[in-house]
Amino acid sequence: MTRRALAATAPTARPGSRAGERCYPYATVLPVMLVVALFTVYPLIYCVHLSLHENVLTRPLDHDFVGLQNFREVITGYYFWRSLCSTALFASMAVLAVTLYGLGTALLLNQAVLGSALLKVVVLLPWAIPAVISGIIWRWIFDGDYGVLNGLLLVTGVVRRYVPWMSHTVTARLCMVVAHVWKQGPLAAVFLLAALQVIPPELHDAAHIDGAGRWDGFRFVTLPYLKATLALVLIYETIVAIATFDLVYVMTGGGPADATAIIGWYAYTEIFRFLNLGHGAALAIILGVALLGLVLVYLRALGSEET
Amino acid sequence: MARGGSSRLEPALLNLACLGVALFILAPFAWMLVSSLAGEAELTRRPPVFVPSPPTLANYAFIFTGQLPRDPARHGIFVWQTSHEVRLLLPALRNSFIVALSVMAANVVFGALAAYSFARVDFHGRRSAYAFILTSRLMPAVAVAIPFYAIVQRLELLDTYRALILVYLAFTFPFTIYFLSVYFRYLPAEVEEAALLDGCTRFQTLLRVVAPCAAPGLVAAAAFAFMTAYNEFLFALLLTQTIAAQTMPVLLAAVATNPAVSHALLAACVILALIPPGLLALALRGYLTRGLVASVAR
Repeated sequence: MTRRALAATAPTARPGSRAGERCYPYATVLPVMLVVALFTVYPLIYCVHLSLHENVLTRPLDHDFVGLQNFREVITGYYFWRSLCSTALFASMAVLAVTLYGLGTALLLNQAVLGSALLKVVVLLPWAIPAVISGIIWRWIFDGDYGVLNGLLLVTGVVRRYVPWMSHTVTARLCMVVAHVWKQGPLAAVFLLAALQVIPPELHDAAHIDGAGRWDGFRFVTLPYLKATLALVLIYETIVAIATFDLVYVMTGGGPADATAIIGWYAYTEIFRFLNLGHGAALAIILGVALLGLVLVYLRALGSEET
Repeated sequence: MARGGSSRLEPALLNLACLGVALFILAPFAWMLVSSLAGEAELTRRPPVFVPSPPTLANYAFIFTGQLPRDPARHGIFVWQTSHEVRLLLPALRNSFIVALSVMAANVVFGALAAYSFARVDFHGRRSAYAFILTSRLMPAVAVAIPFYAIVQRLELLDTYRALILVYLAFTFPFTIYFLSVYFRYLPAEVEEAALLDGCTRFQTLLRVVAPCAAPGLVAAAAFAFMTAYNEFLFALLLTQTIAAQTMPVLLAAVATNPAVSHALLAACVILALIPPGLLALALRGYLTRGLVASVAR
């Protein structure tokens, strides 16, 4: 995207007539470059260095070069695989739910009814607020002792006594997914709505004249148009789900029984509970490479959508 | 959109579905608002009191002034004593505002300057500098947590606003520059060329000709930068230690993970903390939506 756009603007640039004009672009780009470089180049080198050395804060004098031992220990560790499973489970549920919810919301927002106008006003709210706060809100809703969900279910007679939603592995995961969908869904909906709005209305009319029903219209007119955006949303939401941290921190603390200890949380505890910086850095690199792979897929999908 | 016999029923169904989604979005906020107007005793009943009567502002009064409630039985005076950190909400909000407003201002000024150069000025290394800034954003946050801490420690900036502002600038600049340079490129170049021919410098052209045209883009970029800084949690947690620099998400996470917290007080904190991003999201809805769409789809 950037290459094409840059090439398109080249003719408007004029050779600077004065020395000040010649320095101008460098002077404007430099401050930004410095800040970004300070927090990109050095951290990368530092992280690789950490991962190749023994670095446990409880043993501050041992800093031997250990090669790939940190990576080996992390990969063969029991908790790594558990957290991978938790991550895969959470990410697949979350991505699926966010995409379906986002698609449904986008389809509703694209309708010419009064309710749709109302929905448009409020839809961005969950996206705009801190993830920490959405975690706090949902934790309080699902609370096993005083949560309002339990209260409502009790009043309507669905349950006889309060259910400790956050204390069972299965329901705790579901609670996290609900909170995640609530927070992330609006963004997916906005993206998909933008894609829906460029579908020429004549296509739907034509399909209708040809005798296509509601479902056929969606299946053969809407869906092909949405395919590229859907792919983007899926990849983007996968990255977001895998990198989830704030929600785990305030909602579950990784529990119960490590059911929600997804990989970002696991890296955090390696570093800040067990103070093993070498392990933490190795984990961070593994996670970083995995996410980078996804990002590259994302950019490729983005590029193919444009051409 | 009249289609066949079911056309009268359909809008009703669609409206109902819209209301359902709106309810899902709004109900959690509504319950927080209700909780913040209730006493602790009403919230810890089974089932809770769904409509506190009469609603009370005692929770807010305590956060703002430290005034204890007149009705201790209703408010559970014991949990208030274990929830004294909520009194730190206002300083934490002040910290959040200072950091977020600084990040926003720096993004608008430096981000717009750099983005305009990337969009319209030809200079050596433009392409690689642009690519470098954009790819820097691909690094996941956890991966750089330890090095960031080390850098900030070495600069002797731990527990200061400046550390958070620097880190958030590194996070927000790439998006701002991408977003604004795309925006600038879509403006008509003829006016700028005329200004340059009339003897304006690049800077004057940006200030007098481009900035007024790009005002909606600048507003959206400013709002995104503000929200990113206001909402960020992980690095605020790592890089601050005391209320001298702790931002609102760090404080609220500490309050919320305290098992003996008063939920009514916590709810009042949440409502107060939600006001700035909530207002932004409602007031700048159009700008933000268009900005979000432009950031992926263009």
